[in-house]
Amino acid sequence: MAKWSFKKATWTPVAVADTVNFTDSGYMGLMGGSTTQRIKIMEVYMGGQATASAPSLMILSRDSTVQATPTALSTGESNAALDPATAALAAAMIAFTASTTKPQRSATLGLLSLSYNAFGGIVRWVAAPDEEIGMLGNTASFGEVSLSAYTGGTPGLTGSHIIYEPL
Amino acid sequence: MSSKIGGHTGYLLIDNRASPGVSEEFIRASGKNAPFAPEGTCFEADTYTCSHCHAVVIKNPQRQRERAICRKCMRVVCDTCITECVPFNKVLEDLQNQAFHNVK
Repeated sequence: MAKWSFKKATWTPVAVADTVNFTDSGYMGLMGGSTTQRIKIMEVYMGGQATASAPSLMILSRDSTVQATPTALSTGESNAALDPATAALAAAMIAFTASTTKPQRSATLGLLSLSYNAFGGIVRWVAAPDEEIGMLGNTASFGEVSLSAYTGGTPGLTGSHIIYEPL
Repeated sequence: MSSKIGGHTGYLLIDNRASPGVSEEFIRASGKNAPFAPEGTCFEADTYTCSHCHAVVIKNPQRQRERAICRKCMRVVCDTCITECVPFNKVLEDLQNQAFHNVK
């Protein structure tokens, strides 16, 4: 399958504790397009855009409560294939930043802890080949992964992307 | 790129060279055990993903002990997953097969 990039040009993460509803537009979420779809996450990048010190405890985590009724991506947000020849999928992945039923970060299935200062800082994680983070389906807890801020910091303006591959 | 087991590594970069950074005290106060880069520094590390639990492990360059390799799946595993071989990808495959059967 082809690789895709879910990007958010500029946003301010909203800090929330584990198993608490995310705030719309304050996180990035990725969910499988069907009960059987597998996804591999291979890169996470964040570049700070804040104009004052903004230590941010960013977490890539599986979600213990998954979203329902997602809102379409808005200006500055996109979910696009890296290769222009990529065919449309029968069951497209759901990249979202807002929804009616809010997702919640799992307290036990955190994947990456990416603390940085959004005032000029950069974070990038790339998986080794064949060691990507796996997702399955569209239900908790393997079917949805989110990039969000953990409580304790003062998250600042950020630009970010997640590169992944549906199988 | 190396072809030996564990030779392929992921990469983590936290670049706070042009930033006030994140202090150790700040990370400790959060209760998280996370890598950090203080003001003006850059943290770079190799990572690997445990074949059994899919935890992303930051390699400690000063580690003397050999990393555990599961002789069944022939992959590097984290220190807590040495005993039983249940590759996470296998778990996902089984669940996927189960889901396929439920769909049909």
